[in-house]
Amino acid sequence: MKTDIIIKRFIALVMLLGITSSYAQISKVEIMATGLTCSMCSNAINKQLKAMPEVEKVMIDLNNNTFVVNLKNNSLVTPQMLKSNIEKTGFFVGSMILTMDANNVELKDNSSFKNASGTYVFVNPDEKATNEKLRLKVLNNGFVTKKEYKKSAKLLSKYIGLGTQEGTYYVKTI
Amino acid sequence: MRYFLILSLSLLSFQINAQELFVMTEPASNMPTSSIGVRDMSLFAFKKTDGYNYHNMPELMWGVNKDWMIHASAFLSNKQGDMMLEGGSLYAKYRFFSVDDLHSHFRLAAYGRISTSNAEIHQEDIETMGMNSGYEIGAVATQLINKTALSATVSYERAFNNQGNIFPDEWSKSAMNYTFSIGQLMYPKKYTSFKQTNINAMLEFLGQRLNQNGKSYLDVVPSIQFIINSQARIDLGYRRQIYSDMERISTNSILLKLEYTFFNVTN
Repeated sequence: MKTDIIIKRFIALVMLLGITSSYAQISKVEIMATGLTCSMCSNAINKQLKAMPEVEKVMIDLNNNTFVVNLKNNSLVTPQMLKSNIEKTGFFVGSMILTMDANNVELKDNSSFKNASGTYVFVNPDEKATNEKLRLKVLNNGFVTKKEYKKSAKLLSKYIGLGTQEGTYYVKTI
Repeated sequence: MRYFLILSLSLLSFQINAQELFVMTEPASNMPTSSIGVRDMSLFAFKKTDGYNYHNMPELMWGVNKDWMIHASAFLSNKQGDMMLEGGSLYAKYRFFSVDDLHSHFRLAAYGRISTSNAEIHQEDIETMGMNSGYEIGAVATQLINKTALSATVSYERAFNNQGNIFPDEWSKSAMNYTFSIGQLMYPKKYTSFKQTNINAMLEFLGQRLNQNGKSYLDVVPSIQFIINSQARIDLGYRRQIYSDMERISTNSILLKLEYTFFNVTN
């Protein structure tokens, strides 16, 4: 009985350490929203993003509908959460670029790494890119414009195989 | 009249470059989820004889989620002398189709309104927004390209007896409505901040055809809109009849609409 508890605690501890050690969280996200041209519309997105507890700061380029979102340390924001918050305002994501620390991540085609925000699969990465801060553009459906997704669907099919899993993002280094 | 319509549309299409927050109609797009809007419309409807009726319509709007929004309105007017509450309406809109690109979108929505009114009925045209008890169901398509928005609505409107006032039997109880709206962002040419006042110019055509006797009207509404601090709206419009063969109380009116949006209220 007692050993059971000890084993459970040990497993929990290992899992906790496991999470923290691979803790390459997203520090910044650049989101371009689509379907809008008025400042009232961008303000709706601005307010929506600022209302997320994980968001530290939002900077906006009104002419390009681009929102640069700085996230708090150790925030557990996922790309999916950001996307659904944009969609709540009635608009869509046209492009999303994540900046994250990714030490010791192998930049190889079709290789993947995992952290608290999701699993990331590289699509034709620049293998020579410096490896400390990664800028990754998400290629999944709903994270690029419909036109762009259509264009890249064939390329992506090689990686996706049997279909996308929740929390798996196909990314290109920028 | 048709030529006039085609001519004005084609003239406009050359230089239009705006927005879809139309003054007389609703676009297919909805308010952001969990935002609350308050609106007050003042309408000065000039009578054929002389003077005008003053109508006031306060309205509460709520973005339920990304696809649904609802409005609740009250209708007040001084038609009987003093300002009196004449009725109210509930409106819901469902956005069911969206194609968005970087600076454009095409959207489709369906909507319905149910209204009650106790006003006296002196006009053949059916208006469930402040004049008749009844309902309206319709569909709206909106296209936004850069700074230009185009929107078209088709709806079926049905009048009932007003409370305490019977709808005349010899008149048509139902109608089809057709609207076409164009909006253009005039200022600023380039955004620098949310504080900048946006100015939109709109031109809207509102048409109705009575189902039982084929009588119709067509109105045009030029308007100007100021969006302040990306949160408040002031609309000023002038509605004028282009043609009509039905009995109407008013063939031209001035309207002033004030609106304020509170974001993220019901999160």
